[in-house]
Amino acid sequence: MGLLRYTTYRFIQAIPVLIGISILTFILANLTPGDPVRLMTQGQEVTPEQIERIEAQYGLDRPLHERYLDYMAGLVQGDMGHSFHRNRPVTDLIASRIGPTLLLVLSAYAFALVTSIPLGIIAAKRRNDPFDHVSRIVALFGVSTPSFWIGIMLILIFAVQLGWLPSAGLVYPWWSPETYGHSGYFEHLIETMRYLLLPMIALGTLQMATLMRVERTQMIESLQGEYVKLARAYGVPERTILRKHAFQVAQLPIITIVGLNLSTALGGAVLIEFVFNINGLGRLFYEAIIQLDYQLIMGITMIIATMFVIGVIITDIAYAYIDPRVTYGESE
Amino acid sequence: MSSEPLLRVENLKTQFFTDAGTVRAVDGISFEVHEGEIVGLVGESGAGKSVASMSLLRLVESPGEIVGGEITYRGETLFGLEEGPDGELRERDDMLSNEEMRTRIRGNEIAVIFQDPMETLNPVFTVGGQLREFIELNRDLSGKEARKEAIEMLREVGIPDPEERYEEYPHQFSGGMRQRVLIAMALACEPNLIIADEPTTALDVTVEGQIIDLVDELQEKYDTSFVWVTHDMGVVAEICDRVNVMYLGEIIEQAPVDELFHDTKHPYTEALLNSMPRPDRTVGELEPIEGVMPEAISPPSGCRFHPRCPDAREVCQRVHPENKEVARADGYPHNAACVKHDVFDVGYDESVPLDKEPQMTASTPSAGDDGE
Repeated sequence: MGLLRYTTYRFIQAIPVLIGISILTFILANLTPGDPVRLMTQGQEVTPEQIERIEAQYGLDRPLHERYLDYMAGLVQGDMGHSFHRNRPVTDLIASRIGPTLLLVLSAYAFALVTSIPLGIIAAKRRNDPFDHVSRIVALFGVSTPSFWIGIMLILIFAVQLGWLPSAGLVYPWWSPETYGHSGYFEHLIETMRYLLLPMIALGTLQMATLMRVERTQMIESLQGEYVKLARAYGVPERTILRKHAFQVAQLPIITIVGLNLSTALGGAVLIEFVFNINGLGRLFYEAIIQLDYQLIMGITMIIATMFVIGVIITDIAYAYIDPRVTYGESE
Repeated sequence: MSSEPLLRVENLKTQFFTDAGTVRAVDGISFEVHEGEIVGLVGESGAGKSVASMSLLRLVESPGEIVGGEITYRGETLFGLEEGPDGELRERDDMLSNEEMRTRIRGNEIAVIFQDPMETLNPVFTVGGQLREFIELNRDLSGKEARKEAIEMLREVGIPDPEERYEEYPHQFSGGMRQRVLIAMALACEPNLIIADEPTTALDVTVEGQIIDLVDELQEKYDTSFVWVTHDMGVVAEICDRVNVMYLGEIIEQAPVDELFHDTKHPYTEALLNSMPRPDRTVGELEPIEGVMPEAISPPSGCRFHPRCPDAREVCQRVHPENKEVARADGYPHNAACVKHDVFDVGYDESVPLDKEPQMTASTPSAGDDGE
């Protein structure tokens, strides 16, 4: 089976998963205690008739399964419904908020990969050296410290004490430099980085620590492999062994973890958006839950679930690409 | 037989420094390999055969270390120590550096065929790519020529459709085919000496037979010398010219192959031969060697084989026998390390036979078999 067929096949497989998620979320959201109409009309004088009218307007008076089927009918046409709190289409709301979140999550991953893999390799190569011990302590700190606390500490040190970096908000690189009064694209890019740096590190530290630990273990194991002995016995230079022979075998679990940790990263983004006052999907999600904005909750859940599923599919494709033993589903 | 051997190993000692103590895996072995010869290194698991063969390439992994002796290959010192001015042992000036070992010796002079074909090839690279890489490194060929050579070598070791198989990955090969690839790697680098570290152990008997025939044929064609590491006396009989029998890090008998089989001088070798299935004996007549080999971390006193030796006497507990010439055959010495052949000096004949002490048996879990 070719790559294209495999990808198509995996996406088709993902459809029942997404339907399952939609049913669960729909039920759970509607089971949440509280009444959205009452929340909306809080502090106002409303008659029971008015409440009934609002409920009818948003279809809240109809049975759950009807509302679900209605929602799904809209979804397949690209209509994610209407936020009754914000009185705007859910798609618009998500579109305006997804950018910062994606920027944050992807940059955190880039930061984690760029740092963890070299550090893990060096730690494996210098096993039980001081470097290895220090990096293991750092990794332990990284996996056991909540990202929001790291974020607060980073703000305290680099924004409050040292005043080097801004503590809140983001500069969106996709907006024109003039919006921010930047004199050109170079300054625009620098500012983007300045704003992004702290939240990126705060969110990426957990990923970095996890990946570094795995990379170290995998490289140690790989360096003890028989194929490394073989390469040594045939005079392959140590650097080539490290970079090629041992490295490529060791990367297989890394890919899996990158894919699976996408959920942790998306979850972590919610908290980081709060700490750094970033108007992303995470904050929108939080507000939607507080306000029992059913349509918005559904919409964001579906988007996050889809992103996760796509991430896993990309992982699988990358896995098959790197490991020749994994095929695109063909039988030998 | 030329006067200067291709490889000379003199009193080689390799030890592992573990938390539990020093493991003397190879404890003062000496042997020679001449041009065009297949020399066997035989012994049970844990005798130190693999460590000895890896020591030849200076590829013993930490915590292991070569601590003494001398390895000479074609007049070059692969390993050698001397006493420095401060009385400490230091590496000799003429000893090859690690870089020289890597660029000049490993692969292009001495190549290895490893034991486990399933694990030894890198799973994420094509078989041809791996073969080509080693050829490029060791033979100064361009990528294109190396590729051609690699395909030629695959054909030579009997892999059908080598052009197509070149592009395939190790998991698409059977065990026997992978072993052929490993042999192709060794031969393709055109070394003068190949260390074959139990290359047939992981294979089933029919494939083993094919591989041995293949090596025999290729050895004649290329006139390569071999150090053949094995625990299988049957393979030794079939392929080796001269044999070194190892027990617990020491060579206890060395002789040309016919001499060893027909005029065995050491009780251990004899026990090994008696435990081997042969066409002229029924299974009931097989005599397994009593017990298991002790661990090299605390070898028995005196002769290391005495706790399991049927001929052991009291003197064997005290006297450590030297490996010395007891006969000559085909111009080669027949050496054995057993006080039986030393009757006058140590008084073997007067010594009382040992009562059989309670023995460790094969089921004793404490005696690991991974000491190799």
